[in-house]
Amino acid sequence: MSTTEEKLWNYIDGLCSAEEQQAIARLIETDGIYRRKYEELLALNAELGDIQLDEPPMAFTYNVMEAIRAEEAAMPLKASINKNIIRGIVGFLSLVIIAVIAYAMLSINWSAGDHGAYELPSVKLPNIQAITSSPVWKGFLFFDVVLGLFLFDAYLHKRKLVKQA
Amino acid sequence: MQSKLTDTELIAQSVAGNQSAYAELIKRHQRFVFTLAMRFAKNREDAEEIAQDTFIKAYRNLANFQQQSKFSTWLYSIVYTTAMTFLRKRRMDTDSIDDENVYIQLENQQGGFDQNYAENRSRSYYLNKAIEQLLPDDAAIITLFYKGEQSLEEIAVTLGMEANTVKVKLFRARQRLKEKLERLLKHEAKELI
Repeated sequence: MSTTEEKLWNYIDGLCSAEEQQAIARLIETDGIYRRKYEELLALNAELGDIQLDEPPMAFTYNVMEAIRAEEAAMPLKASINKNIIRGIVGFLSLVIIAVIAYAMLSINWSAGDHGAYELPSVKLPNIQAITSSPVWKGFLFFDVVLGLFLFDAYLHKRKLVKQA
Repeated sequence: MQSKLTDTELIAQSVAGNQSAYAELIKRHQRFVFTLAMRFAKNREDAEEIAQDTFIKAYRNLANFQQQSKFSTWLYSIVYTTAMTFLRKRRMDTDSIDDENVYIQLENQQGGFDQNYAENRSRSYYLNKAIEQLLPDDAAIITLFYKGEQSLEEIAVTLGMEANTVKVKLFRARQRLKEKLERLLKHEAKELI
């Protein structure tokens, strides 16, 4: 059972049937109490339509976009690496391993039987000491240290941005 | 130039990676989203956090937006869920939101008129005060109905309720608002005497 007020709100919102609408319109015309109530609700309805929206801070859009950018920048490395590159590296390493095994197999003198000795192919290693003491090597190490520090700084900066966001 | 584009066109551009298109969407909807967030949070700082989270969540899920409803309806439903999560995090569980007593306390705190509010005491000022004192759900329904250009069916989608429930809630919200407004105006009249 709806109250007078409920009926009037339905009438104002246009949510009642055509017959109800006619009946309420007639009541508003003939009944003074009904009319006063209707005018009161109609005024409130108009006021509600005129309420002002709250204004967000000036930098709101900028802040949201910055947060989105920071989130995208912090996307895990796993998601940003192309899987084809990983597959390529796996393929290359597998090929190298197969080639080494095949070379080792081919180097064995199978006809020698149990008495036959497997001779490792002689590999002449370069003089490592001479390389490590060279200025080029030291320069290379220095460059690596600087690059490492630079990347570490960038990582800390990104983490700070994500925390702020 | 982008201000002439429709929401749908801006969404398509945003999904394609155009961030300025999304910034334009934010500019279009930020006032209403912020107002709606204010209805739940009751203070600007928290409302800003809810509104910001809403736009970030919307951006993440933009590609999944099926466009079966208006973008605004979808966005307002995100505001609602974000606000609910936010309030829950603040140890205000959803049951307490429906608990009138909590807001009666709040009303009593806010009901005491500050002497600083001597200026700007127009009827619309009291109307806003009365809305602030409503339960979040009531305030949100009134805001969605009058300022969000949302039909009862769309509000039902936003709040995850039946359209008929929204209709009943809207009626009750307006009744409570009227009572609160009358109380505030009576209080003001007494103060003037």
